[in-house]
Formats: sequence, structure tokens, C-alpha cells
Amino acid sequence: MLNVYTPKIPLLMGFFYLFSLTLGFAQEAGMIKGTVISAEDAEPLPGVSVLVKGTNRGTVTNIDGEFELEAASGETLTVSFIGFETTEIGVNPGQTVYEISMQASMGDLGEVVVMGYGSQRRADITSAVSVINMDNIGDVPTTNVSRLLQGQAAGVQVRQNSGRPGEEMEVTVRGLGSLGAGSQPLYVVDGFPIGTTLGQNLNPADIESITVLKDAASTAIYGARGSNGVILITTKNAQEGKVGLEFVVNHGMTNVPDGRRTRMMDGPEFARFKHESFVDRIRYFEQREPSLDEIPEEFRFPEQTQISTDWFQEIMNQNARFSNYNATLTAGTGDIRSLVSVGYVNQEGAVINTGFERFNVRANIDGKINDFLTMGWNIAASHSREDYAPTDGRGALIGRSLWADPRFPVYNEDGSFNTFIGGTHGVFGTANVVQELHEMERTLEINNVLTNGFLEFTFLKDFKFRSQVNATLNQAGRKEYRPSTLAGPGFNQPPPREATLMQNNNESLNIATDQLLSYSKFIGPHRIDGLLGYSAQQENTKILQGNGTEFPNDQTRYLSSAIQQTSNSSEFGWSLLAYFARANYSYNDKYLFSASWRREGSSRFGANNKWGNFPAFSAGWRISEEDFMPQANWITDLKVRASYGVTGNNAIGNYSALSNMRISNYVLGGDIANGQVLANFANANLGWEQSQQTDIGLDFAMFDNRLVFTAEYYNRLTQDMLLSVEMPVISGFTQSLDNVGLVRNRGVELALDYRTRINQLNLRSNLNVTINRNKVLEIRGDADAIWSGGFYSTYNVSVPGRPMSMFHGFRMMGIFNTEEEIDNWPTQDGAIPGTYKYYDANGDGEISYDIQDMVEIGNPHPAMLLGYTIGGDYKNFDFNFMFTGAFNYDVYRNIEATTLNMDGVFNILQEGVDRWRSPENPGNGWIATSNTWKWQRESNSRYVYDASHVWLRNVTLGYTIPQNPIIPSARLFFSAENLFLFTSFPGSNPEVNQRGGINIGVDDEAYPIPRTFTLGANIRF
Amino acid sequence: MQKGTIYIFISALIFSVSCGDEFLNKTDPTVLVADEFYATEEDLEQAVNGVYGQLRGYFGSQWQFTEFITDNTTLHFNPGNRGQGPALEALEFWQYNAGTPNINSLYNSIYSIMVNVNTTLTRMPEANAPEEVKSRAEGEMRFIRGFLYFELVRYFGDAIIITEPVQTPAEAFEYERSPVESVYQQVFEDLNAAVEALPNSYPSSLVGKATRGAALTLLGKVHLTRHEYTEAINTLNQVTQLGYHLLSDYGAIFNPQNKNHQESIWEIQYQGDNLFGVHSSFIYTFAPRESFGAVIDFPGQEGGGWNTPTLDIINAYEEGDLRKEVSLREGYTSLDGDWVPVPYINKYHHPHSIRGVTNDNWPALRYADVLLMLAEAINEVEGPTGEAYMHLNEIRERAGLDPISGLSQDAFRTAVLAERRLELAFENHRWFDLKRTMTVPQLVNFLNDYGLRERAEPTTSREGIPFSNNDFIFSDHQVIFPIPQDQIRINPDIAQNPGY
Repeated sequence: MLNVYTPKIPLLMGFFYLFSLTLGFAQEAGMIKGTVISAEDAEPLPGVSVLVKGTNRGTVTNIDGEFELEAASGETLTVSFIGFETTEIGVNPGQTVYEISMQASMGDLGEVVVMGYGSQRRADITSAVSVINMDNIGDVPTTNVSRLLQGQAAGVQVRQNSGRPGEEMEVTVRGLGSLGAGSQPLYVVDGFPIGTTLGQNLNPADIESITVLKDAASTAIYGARGSNGVILITTKNAQEGKVGLEFVVNHGMTNVPDGRRTRMMDGPEFARFKHESFVDRIRYFEQREPSLDEIPEEFRFPEQTQISTDWFQEIMNQNARFSNYNATLTAGTGDIRSLVSVGYVNQEGAVINTGFERFNVRANIDGKINDFLTMGWNIAASHSREDYAPTDGRGALIGRSLWADPRFPVYNEDGSFNTFIGGTHGVFGTANVVQELHEMERTLEINNVLTNGFLEFTFLKDFKFRSQVNATLNQAGRKEYRPSTLAGPGFNQPPPREATLMQNNNESLNIATDQLLSYSKFIGPHRIDGLLGYSAQQENTKILQGNGTEFPNDQTRYLSSAIQQTSNSSEFGWSLLAYFARANYSYNDKYLFSASWRREGSSRFGANNKWGNFPAFSAGWRISEEDFMPQANWITDLKVRASYGVTGNNAIGNYSALSNMRISNYVLGGDIANGQVLANFANANLGWEQSQQTDIGLDFAMFDNRLVFTAEYYNRLTQDMLLSVEMPVISGFTQSLDNVGLVRNRGVELALDYRTRINQLNLRSNLNVTINRNKVLEIRGDADAIWSGGFYSTYNVSVPGRPMSMFHGFRMMGIFNTEEEIDNWPTQDGAIPGTYKYYDANGDGEISYDIQDMVEIGNPHPAMLLGYTIGGDYKNFDFNFMFTGAFNYDVYRNIEATTLNMDGVFNILQEGVDRWRSPENPGNGWIATSNTWKWQRESNSRYVYDASHVWLRNVTLGYTIPQNPIIPSARLFFSAENLFLFTSFPGSNPEVNQRGGINIGVDDEAYPIPRTFTLGANIRF
Repeated sequence: MQKGTIYIFISALIFSVSCGDEFLNKTDPTVLVADEFYATEEDLEQAVNGVYGQLRGYFGSQWQFTEFITDNTTLHFNPGNRGQGPALEALEFWQYNAGTPNINSLYNSIYSIMVNVNTTLTRMPEANAPEEVKSRAEGEMRFIRGFLYFELVRYFGDAIIITEPVQTPAEAFEYERSPVESVYQQVFEDLNAAVEALPNSYPSSLVGKATRGAALTLLGKVHLTRHEYTEAINTLNQVTQLGYHLLSDYGAIFNPQNKNHQESIWEIQYQGDNLFGVHSSFIYTFAPRESFGAVIDFPGQEGGGWNTPTLDIINAYEEGDLRKEVSLREGYTSLDGDWVPVPYINKYHHPHSIRGVTNDNWPALRYADVLLMLAEAINEVEGPTGEAYMHLNEIRERAGLDPISGLSQDAFRTAVLAERRLELAFENHRWFDLKRTMTVPQLVNFLNDYGLRERAEPTTSREGIPFSNNDFIFSDHQVIFPIPQDQIRINPDIAQNPGY
């Protein structure tokens, strides 16, 4: 094989010879001047940047396209301008005047886009694909790659549910697709489908590009995992011909802005509330004026309340630190290019004693072994450690920090923790949240190795065979120790308690292999690409957990010290096999066709339905290439395209199709007697959830790609959803999994990219708009509905004819002011003046205390989503502003249902001081009486708010230090994350969605979203 | 060479195709697959044990429907947490309806045990097990099925009879409710089969399983419930031949150190002092709220405040009744030394070593019940004969009370009911005893009278919160529970009971 190389050696030597020759001539600098013109029409181009390569000498052409600068012969001029291909011209000895002609660039059209199992020229793409422009993201202080998707692509909704350090954001492509299975997209890293979550261990600094596949024509090649979109992530490698070393340092601090905090009553206010609630109750129920000693002593003189603790404030970590370091070494010279990167990030949480820390290393290498063999191998390893806390929800830390009795101090007089908060006169007692965060040990450590390699073999000129192996090994260890000094985790569990320990080890191995045979050929105007593939993947997870309770002390926090110990282990896994094929054909770059087909088998489905078929077709017509089109020079490219395809969703449990036994032990003769009972109802016919998606798109590039407009219309029908369907309990079970239902998501996506140059100011902006309409068309029967949530905790209801998961509850019509008003209203059993007046939806004259009179009270789906980025540079300065917005949707605020029901077991939202007290003193007419709890707490429209908002997500300002001999390239930047939120929503985060799945849009109070300011530097050698 | 590559590629493809389906067959390695279960003797024993295991859960919540709903117990009112209003409290205050979640759970739990009984019975013939094991297992399953249908018919009236597992969801829609009489026929068939198949006793390693005595006692109770007094007497008189006798110490009946004693006929087995998950925790439900370690001996431990003995039952004990201190306590001394007048059930309150994990068994059927049933039945047939007095006074004697004599048939009937209330207090008999011995109007009057008393003088403080207007108003139709709303919504062909 070596003989293949031999003829090249003299050639290579010749190149070096020439190179040294050129170097030899580079001596004296002199003034040169020239004109830059457009190759197309020979018009002069003003504002073109002309730079002597490798130096900081540069200039810009004047209005007549002329420039003048100092350059020595042998040096190279780099001439660049938006919309034109960058050109390099050598400075010849003796030549002082240059005419440089610039070619209009193919720009984005020539760019190669990563697609499923391959790549494609952007101009040839006939499906709906969004490529994230990494320039538009800014220098975001983030630990998670999912953040990079925020606001960048039409049709992609990225919600930040909480401000937990290291948190992965929730990504949805083109609406919620499934009522039963998951709706998360499939993530594919360097060709490896890793699943529907990215986890916390991928380093954002290693990411080269992100492509979002949205329609079925692009995702059907991923078969049963394609329904909810596919996100292709490619990691960095060296640029060809370059060796470089890059350091990025980013430091900052994090705070929760005052405006985003939920206000509760302070100590005196809460004491006054309790005082008044005793007074009001006696006045109303006993029709008399109470004497002072009927009021419990601690509330008798509220203004004398000594202590006022703002528990939320107490658990905030002021000026929490953020630091991130990355070093990347790249070598792109020769046949092999490689990259080695090291990263470290440490993010303190906005809540005390929480935080996230991660170490990353990565090595990517690829290149030519010989003329027909190329290879590549990526390996990334990481270790992360999170100090976490259960923060989200009413019973968790944030909820408790809001409702804990404010009349109790954090510390006793001797400086020790006050261990039990509340618990008197009906106020629920709880553990001290500050003490819990300090004394509880809760850690999650993850070790992850993600690796993939390929060997590619080129043969018969047009054929390539690629064999790829992928694997990820994930080991997560979790430890939770609750010392005996803490009060119990529930209500009214004062300390001391038995200490408890949980240690859990979770190991998973996911292996995939792909065999791909591709063919690519130009025959005159015909261009043919073909792909045949085979893919197999399996994942196996093993869990080992030990629990201990009753420890002799709080120092030896290991299972071996526990007096009571239990342990358990489990294992689960899945596998899939797939065969697929794809053919692309284009004629004259004008008529484009593509078809793909995948046949996939999954271990998750019933014996009768193991295999599914996923075909897709698409076609495009580049109208701009037609002869009949006027050769108007403002049209760069105009393409219409259409696609149709079938995709699947296998995001269900691993063994759902089988009926299993479960343990149900008894005691016989004083000993444990092993027993087994049926665990679930079997459905051997369980099959694939399918989505059929049609997409029509328009790509319109104008003014030499300065303005690029993309519009999409799509219609996705998801049917045979894997849903738990109710059945008569005489079967022994209340539900079984079945393939039922039909959900439609249809919508419009618009994206507008604009780039321009005004004198020395380069500007780029991107606007993307998503309008998705979701509708349940069918569940099982006409009268069928899926209710989830609870009478006291928000109902999300899906019924045919309406969008999924709409809020349902009573419609609150106001507050009863008098007994007379109650008498004149349909019967509300137990209603008294000051309670909510509900709407009698079924008109039977009675509002029954169940779901019969509940109606739709809110829509959690935004009518429109928006992402807007504007960025650019001026001389050495650069900037980037990124906004996201969501409009016309509702959030159910559960903290109001919890505290504004006024039962006084919790501290109350500050606005509760304006509650109804008597007909003469009705408060602000919007807050109920404290005399009862009924007709105040139920799922109702009172607690639903419009959550439309615009968020200035990130501002990045940068300054590039002029080149100097020591540091060839250095840039300093300032970044502000989550800078401003514009909304009328009263809660802390309008994007909140802790319950997830089909229980969307409920605000149970979560880890607050902090604002982060960082300063950083990016140094390149 | 290039041709060779293609060949390797193609053969690799073919190879991967051929190994495909095996690669895709995955079962949960941590559990057994139902299709392959019920095959061996061991499987069969485990299937039977599994059904008993489900009874642990069933008996954990029976107090709600048999004691709490009656004049025996109430709740330690919680002015703060009103979340239980439409659920548990609906039973106490007789506000229950077709949507009441606890009645839904009751109904569901009966059929979720039934499916395992039916599946075990259906799959049993194919199991590789000795005939005597199969026969005994069949007896056990039919005893439990007879018990379940007896529960169903008494709680809900007409009931869906299902004796084989359904294979598809659609089949489950084909069943309708059968009249009370047919349900009782099913009960008789099952219990008679159980009487035939079950042994009088078990080797020590199997103690805890249903015996012939249990089947006879239950069968006697069925006859008594149907006012078939002669049959009841004949059946129950067979139980008296089996060697059961009253323990001399009433407290010993409930002592976990003394499980499955000579008075015990059918006891639901639990085990504490370990974390194997087969423990009971009744006292954690029954102890007063905010008792914070003063009742349950763990730091800070409070109870649920449910199933609180009423003043009505506390006042029903005669002076010197030894059972009172065993059965209940009228209050407790807080850790601060204050007397807190919140009563609680004491029968299932014994020392245990792990918080939340108690060792108390549940006495489902015991010999005292047999004696009192006999007294009741004899009185109905022949009036208060010497034999009837003998049975009643045997119970009274143990309680440290004077024997009674010289009553009319009516007065004797009342005396037996009163004795049952105290002897079997908080053992889940009261609701059925009231229903059996009273007509519907009598029962409605009886309960509403009690309701007025409880409203006038609540057992525990309501901290100033008044009763709702509809609290403690019992209506005729509530004698039979509603079929849960969910079942009718899922299958509208299922008829609801009148009044709901």
C-alpha cells in the first residue's frame, strides 16, 4: 500500500520548497493600494475588510471600493465582506496596485449540514431542518448543552423549569405529541442516539454544531424514536491545516433578583392574620364580639411579635459563584486531525449548600489512513458532583421556605439551630429549612464515558462503507443522609428522629453499532446519493440500593453503622434493531427528491407487534434556478419543498407488553411466606405509536444571503398512542396499556436571518417565530377524557376537540359578600360569606363538590413562541443580545391554592392581608375569608394567570485585544444571563413546569431562576 | 479485494438479520412472568400466599367502613388539614357518594384480590403439584372468594360475579351486576367447598392459613346475616366441636406475643420488628394527632387521629368491665405532663422496636364472635334459652361482669348486640351487626340519634369550627354503598344503587 504514497513525496517536497521560497522573499514593507469590485457586475464594493494575514494591519475600502495599507511582498491579504467569499491575495514583489474581484458567496447554501446518518448540502435539503447558529448564542454561563438551544430555532421550545445548577432544560420540538409516552426529542451525539435526555455531563464548550430535525422526512430515518424531533449534536475537531490552543475562562456570580421572589407575610402580619382569623370566626359563627383572652396568647398582640423570619431569604445564597475553565488543543495539519479538551465548571446554587461541579476531558481524532480508509475516534469522560436538595413543590424546600411560620427564629439564642418551626395552633410544623440545607448530606456523583469510533472504507470510486461503534457508560452514585437532629420530612414531625441513609448506585451501558453503505454519483445533471444501513442498539441498567435507619451517631454515615438496614437491586434494559435505506436524487440542482425507509424492531413491544415500518418522502424545487425566473440579482435562492413521513415513539416502559408477577408476602408459622400476585394486565398486541407528518416549506435567500427567510407549515397526526386506558376493575386492574387516540399538532414556523454592514458595524440578527396548535382528536370514545392532577392540586384534562392537558376547575365568579347572595346563587353546600362564588356549569342548580361543575379554566400552551437575537461587532467590540418570548398561555399557581385558601396552616402570601373579613370590610374583593377552607382551595380559575413574557436571556459584550506578539488573539467578554424578565405573571418563573409530561404548566414553586453575571476571557494561540 | 468487501458486508447483514428476534426478546429479570407462573407446587403455594398477602392491605383499611362510619368511633378533628374532607371524613359524617375515593378503593381492592383468586383457581389444574396440595389450595382460594363476595354483597348489594380472569379488556365490559340472591349462592358454593377441602389445623410452619373452622364460622355468619337462624346454629355448633375456647385474659387476645391462640379462628398475619414489609401499623392511624411521642413511644411521633372511640362507646362500658382498658384509652398525658382528653383505640398498641413497624395481627374471626352469634341465633329461634344465656354469660364472665338472666326475647336481643359492641369493639363488626339486627328505618333512626348526640357533644374539640349542615345526616339509601362513579363512567351499562 505504501507505493500509493510514493509519487506524492516529491510533490510534497516541492510544496515545501515553494513555501520556503516565498518566505525568503518576505522582507520589506511598503504602501500598496487597490480597488475591490464585485465579480458579477464589476461595481466597486465599499466597506470591505482588507487585512494583512497574521498581523493587525488592516483597513476598510472607501465608498469607491478603494483601500490603501502597508504590506510587504510575501505577505497575504485577506479580503472579506458579508455575502462574498473571503479571498486571499499574495503581495507580489514590486506590485503596489491591486484589483481584487470578489465572488458572491454561496454562503449558507454551500454549507454542509449534518443530517441523520450523513450530511447534505444546505441547498439540497428538502426537509425541515434548523441549524443552530453558534455565533448567535453568546458566551452563556451555562453548564448544560440544552441551554444552547434556547431561542435559536423555530419550532423548538426550550423551557427552564428551575434554576437548579446543572439542570437540563426541557426541550420540545413542534408541540406535545403524545398523551401517554414521552414527548422529548431524541438526542444524537456524533451519530450516536443517546436517548431522550442529554444528562448533565456533556461539556457545552465541546460543541461544534447543532442541527434540529423537525419533520418526518428528516427524522423517519430514526424510526421509532423520530416522532418528537431529533437533535443532532456534533463535537468539535481541529480545523484543517491549523494548530491551535484555546483557553476560555469565565467567572461570575449569581443572584435571585428581588422582583422574582414570592412575597409572604412577615411575622407580625402572620400573627395579625391568625389573631383576626380567631376574631372573625367567633364573630361569624357565634355572632358575638370575642374577648381578648379567647385568642391564643401568641397571637393576642400581633404588633408585639418579636421575630420575623423570611425563610426564603434565609436559604438564598447571595453572590453565588460561577466559574468555568476550558482548554482546547487542536492539531489539523497532516492527514490526521485531533482535538484534546479539558474543562472544569463549578456553579454554586442560588440556594445555600447546593451546587454543581464537573470535570470534562475529551479527545477527538480523525483522518486518513490511506486513500481509501479513513477513521475517527471520539472519547469523552466526565465526572460531576452535585450537592442537591429537593427544592421543587409544596412539601420541598422552596415550598416550605414560603409557608413556614415566620414567627420562629432560624437560630436559638445560644446559636444552635431552632429545630422545629411552627406546629402550634394549627400551623403545620416543619423542619428548619436552613438547618436541613446545612445538615443534610445529599450528593449525586456521575461518572460518564461517551465514546464512538468509525472506520470508513471507500471503494469502487462511488461507494463508501462506514462501520461505527458507539458506547456510553454511566455510573451514578447518590447518597442522602438525614441526621437525627433534623425534624422529620413530613408535617409535624419534631426532632429527634431516627437518622436515615440512602445510598444508590446506578450503572448503565448503552451500546450501538451502525453499518452504513453509501453511494454518491454525478452523471451529467443527475446527482444520486444512496444509503443502506443496519443499526443495533441496547441499553442495560443495574441498580443497587441500600437504606439504613437508626444510627448510633451522626458521624459515621455509612450503611454498616445503621441498626436497621434494607437493600434491593434491580436491572432493566431494552434493545432495538433496524434496517434502513435512503435515496436522494437531484436534477440540475433544480428538482430535488428524497425517500427513506426504516424497519425497526423493539424489545418494548408485544410479541405480535415487534416490528414497525417508517417511510418518508420529500421533494424540493429550486425555483431560482429556473430559466423563466428573472435573473434579478436580489434573489439568491428560492426553494419550495414538501415532505411526508411516518415516525414512531417508543418512549414507554421496558416491559409494558408483558404481564408480570409482583411480590406479596405473607406470614405463616411466624415466618415470612413468599407470595406472588399479578402485577399488571398483559397486552400482547401492544404496538407502535405512529406520527404522520406533512411539512411544506419555503426557503428564500435574498441580497447575496444577507436576508434569509424560511417558512414552514406542518401537520403532525399522532395515533395509536401508548396510553393507559381505563377498564372495569372486575378485570383486577383499573387500567391497561393500549394503542389508542389521535392528537394533532399543526403550526407555522418562521425564521428570518438578516446580516448587514453599516460602515464598520457588522450586524446580524435572527428572528424565529413558532405557532403551534395542539388538539386531541380522539382518545377512546367520544365521552372519554384523561384527567390528571387532583381536586386540590390542579386538574390537567385532555378531551377530544380541545388541546391536550387544559386546566380544568371551577370558574370563580367572585366572592359571596352576604348570606343573601349565597341564597340567590345555585346551592354551594357549606358556602358562607367570603367564600368563592363558583359557576354552575351543568345548570342543575347545585355546584357539587366534585368535578361535575368543573370547566376549562386555562390553556397551558403558548399561542406563539419567539426567539430573537441581535449581535454584531464594531471594530474590536462585539455584542450579542438574545431574547425569548412566549405569548398567550396560562400557568396555574399552586402556592395560591395552598395558602390563599386561608386555612392558616401555612404562612400566607403577603397579598392575603387584603382578604375578605366581613361584608363591610371585603378586602380587595379577590381574596377569601379565613372563616372556612371549603370553596376556596379547589382547582379553580382564581389561581390561573396569563404567563406571557419576554425574557432578555443573555447579553454578551466582548472586546478583542489588538493582536500583539505574545497573544495572537484574545477577547474579553462580559455576559449577563437571565437579565430581564418582562411579564405580568406574579410567580417567579413563567416557564415553570415541574410536573412535566401531560401535567404541564403548574407552578408548585421551584428552584428560583437566578441572574448570572460573568466576566471572561478567550485566548487563542 | 473490493468484491470481497462487498461479500463481507452482505454476509454481515444476513447474519445480523438471522439473530434479530432473539436480540429483541427481553423480559424483566427482576420479576416472574405471569405466563410461566402457576406451573409448580412452589408456584401454587406462592400464588395462594400472595392472595393472603393482599388481605394484609385489605384489613388495613376496613375500620373506615365498619367502625368509623358507626357510633363506635369518630375522628380527632383536624382544623388545619381539611384535605381528608371529601375522602375519609365523608364516611364519618355520612357525606359519602359515588365519588368518595375511599369507597372506590374498597371496591377496587376486593376485585384486585379476586383476580388472583380466580387466576390461581383457573391455572391450578395445569400445575405440577400433588393432588392434596391442590385440593387444600382450592379450599383456601374458595374460602377467600366466599369471604370477598360476602363483603361485596354486604357493602354494595347486587354485585358483579366473576370467577375466571378476563383475557382482554373488552371481556371486562361484558359483565353486569347479579342480584343479591345470586351473590349469596356464590358465597355458599365457595364456602361449602372450602369447608369440604380445608383442614381443621395446620402443621406449625403453616399456621395462619384458613382452616375449616374459619370456613364454618364465616358460613355461620352468612346464615345469620340472612336470618337463616337454624342453619346458623347448625353450622356454628360444628365450630364449638373444634377445640376453640375463650382465653381467660381478654388482653391476651391482642397481644402479638400470643398470636394464633386458642380463641383465634382466623387471624390476619403481620410481622413487625423487621423491615420485610409485612408489618402492621394500626396504632399509627389510630393514635391522637399531636401526641408527639406521648402515645406511640418514639420521639415526636404523632398519630393519624382516626378511628377515635366516641364518648358514646366509652359510656357504654359497665363499671368493672375489664375490657375497657384493653380496648381504649380516654386520653393521654402529654410529655409536658398535661392530660389531653383525646381517646384512642388501645387494642393494637404494643411495644415495637422500629418506628412505624408494628407486630399486631388483626383478629378477623374469633371464638367469642361464635358464641355471641350462637346466642343471637338461638334467641331468634327459641327465645333466651339456657344455652343462649350460657354463651352470653361466658363472654360476660371473662369481662369480669355479672351474668345476666331473666330477659325477654327482645331484651336478650338488645343485650347480645350491646355485648357484641363491647366484646368485639374496634374489630370491624359494628356496621354489619347494626345492618343485620335492624331494619333500614331502625338503622336510620339509630344513627341519626347518635349523630345528634355527637353534634351536641363532640368527642374531641373542634377548635371552634362548626359542623357543616349536612354532617351526621344519614339517609336510607346510604345503608348500601354506591357503586364507584369511575366504574359507571367506564362502563355505563353498570347500574347504580338507588339514591346515588
